Amino acid sequence: MKLRVQLQCKNLHEYLKELSPEILDRLYNHPATCLAVYRELPPLAKNYVMRMLFLDQPLPQAAVALWVKKDSEKDHDQCVSVLSGLRLWHSQQLQGGLQGNILNPVFKDNLRIALLGGGKSWADQGDSLGPDRHARDVESLDKYALERWEVVLHFMVGCPSAAVSQDLSQLLIQAGLMRTEAGDAPCITSAGFQFLLLDTASQLWYFTLQYLNTAQTRGMDLVEILSFLFQLSFSTLGRDYSVEGMSESLLTFLQHLREFGLVFQRKRKSRRYYPTRLAITLSAGVSANSSSTAMGATPGTGDSGFIVVETNYRLYAYTNSELQIALVALFSECLYRFPNVVVAQVTRESVQQAIANGITAQQYIGVLVLLYMAELFGEILHFLRTRAHPVMLKQNPVLPPTITDQIRLWELERDRLQFSEGVLYNQFLSQADFEVLRDRAQGLGCLVWQNVAHRVIVVSPQGHGEVKRFWKRQKSHT
Amino acid sequence: MRLSCSDIGFGDWCLESNIIMVNVLKGVLVECDPAMKQFLLYLDETTALGKKFIIQDLDDTHVFILAEVVHILQERVGELMDQNSFPITQK
Repeated sequence: MKLRVQLQCKNLHEYLKELSPEILDRLYNHPATCLAVYRELPPLAKNYVMRMLFLDQPLPQAAVALWVKKDSEKDHDQCVSVLSGLRLWHSQQLQGGLQGNILNPVFKDNLRIALLGGGKSWADQGDSLGPDRHARDVESLDKYALERWEVVLHFMVGCPSAAVSQDLSQLLIQAGLMRTEAGDAPCITSAGFQFLLLDTASQLWYFTLQYLNTAQTRGMDLVEILSFLFQLSFSTLGRDYSVEGMSESLLTFLQHLREFGLVFQRKRKSRRYYPTRLAITLSAGVSANSSSTAMGATPGTGDSGFIVVETNYRLYAYTNSELQIALVALFSECLYRFPNVVVAQVTRESVQQAIANGITAQQYIGVLVLLYMAELFGEILHFLRTRAHPVMLKQNPVLPPTITDQIRLWELERDRLQFSEGVLYNQFLSQADFEVLRDRAQGLGCLVWQNVAHRVIVVSPQGHGEVKRFWKRQKSHT
Repeated sequence: MRLSCSDIGFGDWCLESNIIMVNVLKGVLVECDPAMKQFLLYLDETTALGKKFIIQDLDDTHVFILAEVVHILQERVGELMDQNSFPITQK
């Protein structure tokens, strides 16, 4: 029962399923997309696709069902639903009247091209432009990407030094990560907090999805952009590509990518661009705990984790990145700051302040419903776990139980009272009356609480009108 | 005057006119643990919020209150929790 927007990072398949069939079919026209979609399929589905790739005729469903053993029926069914959901295959009537399956022809052709070669080349290599005098190597590309992404995050946290383009701040507002009062600078929302505490890969993916959703309103072609994105994900790190033959909207998209740090281009008018590691890992999408890639864990530090939490509620963050320090300061009180370490204390006030920021940023719907900040605390613990210093990773569990329990208790303090608006019905004349009304309310789904012994029910205000009418009708009959 | 179900015998109403069948009250249902409920009863008895706000005391963990006192009630509960917490270590 969350009123607050719960950040949902859909993975690639879920996103694709939501697109309309025509768009999907146009998307599959590009070999890069087909390969990217294929890559994300579960292994059994990949097997099926491979088997049917070179068949030009439909295969009876019975034959397909024979490919799995009896006890793997569930996997088979799951496969079938995945493949149909993505419109990778559809049923067709065979000559004998049986139902058969055949791969989507567009998808089939393009996957063949992707696997065997041929067709148009996906992106012009930069060779036609000659060697680049200002060539960048992988390290500087990584650094650039991190820098740019951090500027975006800094802007969200509210550092005055971070400045981003109008477009980007518009996008953040539309994505619900920030909001703006009339004329004021944008400030962060509780969804924005959750976003900040995620790991980089998830952040990027969520952000890209938001961007794609707004692409239509900008007048950009979704299919073009998506295909370009998939193309990027197959490019080689450290290699430059030329912008020849890219349409206007693609060029605009490229500029936006440049701002997020997904590609590097020396100047706006440069004719070559370098994809960065962020772009390449992007369409690997969001897997459940993807933090093992070199970029995955934390920007701003070379190694994996940098926070040590002690059982006396002290927190030591071995970093000098402004962003990480700002994030830590969101939920703890900073005590000392040294060149390479920040010492902070996790206190009740600081943790509850973090909720308060979440609450005031959220619109109240109705007067009376309490927001459950459980997710925000879950996020704090997730943040601490994913940025834990290697020393801490040796302990099991990673975070001291005292700390995790205490943070949860501080959270639960706010939830001691739970309110629900309602209408109380009591003093029924008879048990039968009570039961009739109670069953009606339950049937309508608006029964909030009941006490059979005292014949009392509480109905939600929305249901009250209907229940009252029902009651009047009952009484007028008897 | 706080009503509770046990005060009014159901038999008293049987012979009354058919117009009054069921008592309908609008308000807010509060669910909490027994300890917190005792705190709410205390606030009500001492009219700490300026007026009596409990319409009906339902059971160990539920009360029915007036809608307008919700915000102030949250504040008072917050104050109670603040009074009972102590800073853990010195800085």
